[in-house]
Amino acid sequence: MDENLKKFKLIRNVIVIIFIIIILSSIRLQIAEGNKYKRLSEKNRIRMRYISAPRGKIFDRHGYEISNTRPGFYVSVIQSIIDKKTLTEVSRILNLDEQTISERMSKERNAYMPVKIVHDISYEQLALLEENMDELSGIEVGVESMRNYPYGELLCHILGYVGEITDDELKNDDTYSIGDYSGKMGLEIYYEKDLRGADGIEYIEVDARGKEVGRITEKRPIPVTHGMDLYTTISLALTESVAVYLKDYEKAACVCLNPQNGEVLVLYSKPGFDPNRFIHGLQPEEWQRLYNAPDAPMYNRAIMSCYPCGSTYKPFVALAALDAHMITPEKTFERCQGEYRLGRRTFKCWKEHGKLALTNAIVHSCDIYFYQLGRFIGIDTLTDRARKIGVGEITGIDILHEKPGLLPDRTWFERRYGKYWTEGHIFNLSIGQGDLLVTPLQLACMYTVFVNNGKIPTPHLIKRDKISYRETNISTDAIQLVRNALFGVVARGTGTLAR
Amino acid sequence: MFKKIDHKILAPVIILSIVGLLMIFSTAGLSYALRQGIWFIVALSLALTFSKVSPRIWYNISPFIYAVTIILLFVILFSHGVYPKRWFRLGWFSFQPSEFAKLATILILANFLARRKKMESFADMFIPLLIATIPAALIFVEPDLGAAQIFFPILIVMLYWGGMPGAKIFIFFSPIISAAASFSIYIWVFYIIALTVFLYFHRQLGDFVYGLVSNSLAGLTMPIVWHSLKAYQQKRIISFFSPWVDPQGMSWQIIQSKIAIGSGRLFGKGFLSGTQKKLEFLPERHTDFIFSCLGEEFGLIGITLTLLIIVYLLYRIIVLVKETKNRFSSICACGICAWLGYQTFLNIGMTIGLLPITGVPLPFISYGGSSLLASFMAIGVCLAITKSKLEYS
Repeated sequence: MDENLKKFKLIRNVIVIIFIIIILSSIRLQIAEGNKYKRLSEKNRIRMRYISAPRGKIFDRHGYEISNTRPGFYVSVIQSIIDKKTLTEVSRILNLDEQTISERMSKERNAYMPVKIVHDISYEQLALLEENMDELSGIEVGVESMRNYPYGELLCHILGYVGEITDDELKNDDTYSIGDYSGKMGLEIYYEKDLRGADGIEYIEVDARGKEVGRITEKRPIPVTHGMDLYTTISLALTESVAVYLKDYEKAACVCLNPQNGEVLVLYSKPGFDPNRFIHGLQPEEWQRLYNAPDAPMYNRAIMSCYPCGSTYKPFVALAALDAHMITPEKTFERCQGEYRLGRRTFKCWKEHGKLALTNAIVHSCDIYFYQLGRFIGIDTLTDRARKIGVGEITGIDILHEKPGLLPDRTWFERRYGKYWTEGHIFNLSIGQGDLLVTPLQLACMYTVFVNNGKIPTPHLIKRDKISYRETNISTDAIQLVRNALFGVVARGTGTLAR
Repeated sequence: MFKKIDHKILAPVIILSIVGLLMIFSTAGLSYALRQGIWFIVALSLALTFSKVSPRIWYNISPFIYAVTIILLFVILFSHGVYPKRWFRLGWFSFQPSEFAKLATILILANFLARRKKMESFADMFIPLLIATIPAALIFVEPDLGAAQIFFPILIVMLYWGGMPGAKIFIFFSPIISAAASFSIYIWVFYIIALTVFLYFHRQLGDFVYGLVSNSLAGLTMPIVWHSLKAYQQKRIISFFSPWVDPQGMSWQIIQSKIAIGSGRLFGKGFLSGTQKKLEFLPERHTDFIFSCLGEEFGLIGITLTLLIIVYLLYRIIVLVKETKNRFSSICACGICAWLGYQTFLNIGMTIGLLPITGVPLPFISYGGSSLLASFMAIGVCLAITKSKLEYS
């Protein structure tokens, strides 16, 4: 059993060597460096300090900063050091009640970790604090970068806003700490991960009252990673002109797209709000007022409110008919005499057009032609082509809470009106009235089908190299015909104002 | 009644558990200490009961025990529990199957290896590797990397004691080193050259070919796989395998643990007078980092004494391993020794800053019922082996 004895000795020696290494390391820690660690432990002098990462800037398509950062002073407290006197004094200076400060402090489990209790204090408050710093223990004042929206209300719905992290968000993502900011709406939340960056950490040595004495050199600091900048497709100048143009309206929305690649130049909704106000944190009543206001300023009408699109829908009815090869452009129906009778109901046209073929029906926007065309091609063809161009579906723009609108089809009508829904519903549908609902952005996207020969680019706010398209598979001939008619709308029809 | 019990094994275990109870009282308070006390009594009676069970029975039922643990590990993965899925919650106590899986795997490995009289080819290592990998993989996805990786050192030691030549074991597992070394081309080239020289002097053609082919494959595919991953996936993997890279919590804990131990100096600050433990710097101060508090309150003297007791215990077990005539019992005790020794080394190495944070408990001392129970069961098996150590079958 010589072999076994050899192996026994090897295992025994490994055990002994490992434990000698452990003992030696303990001797190094406890004897050689014992005094240093003793000193550090006496007041637990090492502290970890987070350096908040500046949030990435957001630029418009020409390079103007539409969202940037500015420095702000914050105050943080260390639970284990702060005393009653300091608490009273600080609450007086900062005009915060003691209860609120204590509640905030107690959220942090580590009693030695500074907790930010207030952001962006005024210069007067800063001066008062600095003046009394000798009597205040457990208080830190520091600089952090604060979000700033130089154009305030103008771009609020695109940019969104940032606000302090909520308790729920903290629970779900442990990379945030108390007092951090995170995006809450618009691009700020959609691109939160890119914009945010990563906080740096430095290790500092502090005295008994929590005041910094120096850096700890043994521990390498973690450098701050700046948030990534976002380059948007938004045109600031164009948005400003739109805002001026719409200044007399109380509620309005406007979308401008580059139809070739889906870049969004303007996404404007009115009324808006000033995103800068959220940085200090809104009082509950202020928030309620904003949220429940009858004109809903937080609501991005360009992507969230759905409207019947009216006569702008007619070209798509024509497109459906041509694509399904159910008519030729020469197709005519009963002449327009300003009204059309269907059973007991009368459907009106806005003008007496006489007999028209398809192109002129589009150019002069004849309702009566389209009532009959809609009835002729039937509900299923109508809804099938509408679905292909994206009615009733979100466009996929890079902002949250986009609404899909509503495309009523046969089953929808049956569910809504029972078996007895009538041709009248198709009539309304054919001129974009009644139950059909689209968002302004959707309508803009739908029209790009005429530019790209049947492809609809996904609208987006951030410049990108690769553009995704929605394939509609609508025949090029049909698109060409309707496109030519649309030129006529502007040249000699109902759209001459746009010239 | 307990005359035949080997007190040289049982006594150090009881002393370590009492040290553990004292430290839990000091760091977490009376209620935790009482709870652990109840576990201690249960565990001790289990160990004494197990000491009466003949190793023959363990030999026979080991496949069954292994199957049950594997099923439990599966069940826990598919249960709708909280994440990470490490525990079964049954009323007021929770139960961690991964601790018992270690003992179950040791038993079945010993069973398998005991049947082989001669061990010399790579094929002989394949099935033991599979046996160890199944529970390890299930624990890995829980996820609990710390507990999952413990299976492999245990396996290697058991293979070695079971008669597999050390060089063979090294060559068999060497692709893992190659994969790890491939992150730096210089280290990898150096490693491959050293390996080739080693294989040349090893003078076995089969091993030479296997060694070079497997190492080259591992070393070459690893970077390809790695670069095909997206940046965020790489980041996720790095932080999974080396949580100490994440500075926000981990290195902070190491610093604080070192301060705690270092500030204890020679004699310590005295029982219950540690200062570091009162701060909430370590959420795991009564479990994974209990050794730091021991170092703080009892100083170098306390650490040395505790280590001596641990080394004595491990020594007694390997003496038992050497003296036991029955092959199954001997390999089984060897696995238990490897388990307790390796886990102790990982835990203490972590608290004094020698090793990365892996989150394994310190056997017998850390707070935790499952860990204590499983370790005591293993000791019970050892005690049973001492009674029959002179029997061949």
